[in-house]
Amino acid sequence: MKNAVSGLGLAPDAAMVTFPIGMFLPGSDITPVRSRKREFYEGLTRWQSGFAQGTAGAPALLCVEGASHEDALNKANNLLLTNLWGDGLPLWPATRERVDWILRGAALPRTHVIGKFPPRGGVTTVETCAVALAMAGGRPEYLPVLIAAVDAFLDAESNSDQLQATSGGPFPVVIVNGPIAREIRLNSGFGCLGPDPQRPAGASIGRALRLLQQNVGGALPGIGTMAIFGAMRYTNAVFAEDEAALPQGWQPHATERHGYAPGTNSVSLVFASGVTNVQRRGAKKETPEEDVLNGMWRMADFMRTPNVAALQGYEKGTPGIMMISPVVAKMMAQLGWTQASIRQFLWENSKIPLAQLQRAGAPAWLAIDANPVTRESIKFNPWPIALKPENIVLVVAGGNHPTHYHWLQAHSPRVIGRIMRVPESFDRLLADADRDLGCGSDACRI
Amino acid sequence: MVTLEFHDPSGTLEITQPHARRLATLEGKRIGFVSNEQWQAYRMLPLLKEMLEADFPGIEVLPVDTFPQGNALIGNEETAALVKKSGVDAIIVANAA
Repeated sequence: MKNAVSGLGLAPDAAMVTFPIGMFLPGSDITPVRSRKREFYEGLTRWQSGFAQGTAGAPALLCVEGASHEDALNKANNLLLTNLWGDGLPLWPATRERVDWILRGAALPRTHVIGKFPPRGGVTTVETCAVALAMAGGRPEYLPVLIAAVDAFLDAESNSDQLQATSGGPFPVVIVNGPIAREIRLNSGFGCLGPDPQRPAGASIGRALRLLQQNVGGALPGIGTMAIFGAMRYTNAVFAEDEAALPQGWQPHATERHGYAPGTNSVSLVFASGVTNVQRRGAKKETPEEDVLNGMWRMADFMRTPNVAALQGYEKGTPGIMMISPVVAKMMAQLGWTQASIRQFLWENSKIPLAQLQRAGAPAWLAIDANPVTRESIKFNPWPIALKPENIVLVVAGGNHPTHYHWLQAHSPRVIGRIMRVPESFDRLLADADRDLGCGSDACRI
Repeated sequence: MVTLEFHDPSGTLEITQPHARRLATLEGKRIGFVSNEQWQAYRMLPLLKEMLEADFPGIEVLPVDTFPQGNALIGNEETAALVKKSGVDAIIVANAA
């Protein structure tokens, strides 16, 4: 509640009468409302905010002292946790020196305001992003990706004010296109949604974004975000498309979805609420055609679900992201499949019969949707999970292995794109990274 | 002794508008509801209406469905215009999520 009002520019306090969740369930006893009516009346008449208008001040500096560096570091981490600014994993305190180092990756002034992070409405500057990236263990060359992702996140059309707070637990997925991905060691291959010591950028960038969501945006579990489960929320998902592996004639995601020229450094932000592995490979003596078709049917079968939490994206968003490994994309392309024909197949074959929608109570959710296009979609039988095939996001990424697809079920009104800006000194930052981390992200040293 | 100085990561807040001014009393006032109809609003709001009418002489609490209801409608300009035109002294916004 306090987040909601401060996010609207109101003072960060509110007249409140709080009740346990049980009172808001069907068939509940609501007589506690009657017994506490004086508190309601107080809130409607005498209550006054304790804050004056204006800015709450410049970001503060905190200080800890310890008998040794390790003791001070320990105290700093304790302070971050007790102030509800941590995520349970060790953090780098964002010292001036570290933040200034991270800011070498900025193409904009440190005081440049990107926006206000919902729902709390914390003012988010380039420096705010650098602080989060410093805490998350990031490096300067990651900052352009984080700033572009934050800018996309704060786009009004992303609906991030609602998605931050909702019980559905969506998490941002940041797809990176362009040469910067390889340059900064962002993973597009094996394990691209998880940790990789040779390609560590995604973990820090995603963790920094999550810290901003929590610390600046107020998305604390059970308070600012009612995400019941909160999956993928340590680091969100930040990965690159494997553009080098795109079959001939296939376009990068950012070109298809946002119209950016191939080779442009960009991010594309989608809110997802799930990550599902779909085993696609056959088990016996299938022909290549049978192998592909069986796998596509299995994919469509996973997609064929009335995901009523994702209706906001029915017209212009996406029902989800399909991740295809390079070897599968190549095999499918050789058999004549295109990005368009894959989407068309999945869209056609994931349609849901009306009777199935009805037994799941989905028409009631369609009926109350804010978008008339979505409300009217109830006339379709079978009902497509998105208004058009083009809404399905298709990305070539993951290890060069044929056995699985991945499906990131979306909870996203839009797919928001942003072109990145890098500082003039970016090549120097990359050279520093080579010095610090070693060259050869292709060389497996395991 | 080692000292570590580091940034508060929570950013700043900017207060750009005041909370709605409260009425000194609810007696004799005309009150409306704008509801998104979620989380038992269909029971809670009539109860609130009943309590207000019982406790404040001369109060008029408009029926819950006087203004457009639902997530799709409560935040739009048309609804705001209807509320202003109605001449109510105050609105209780029931925006449950």
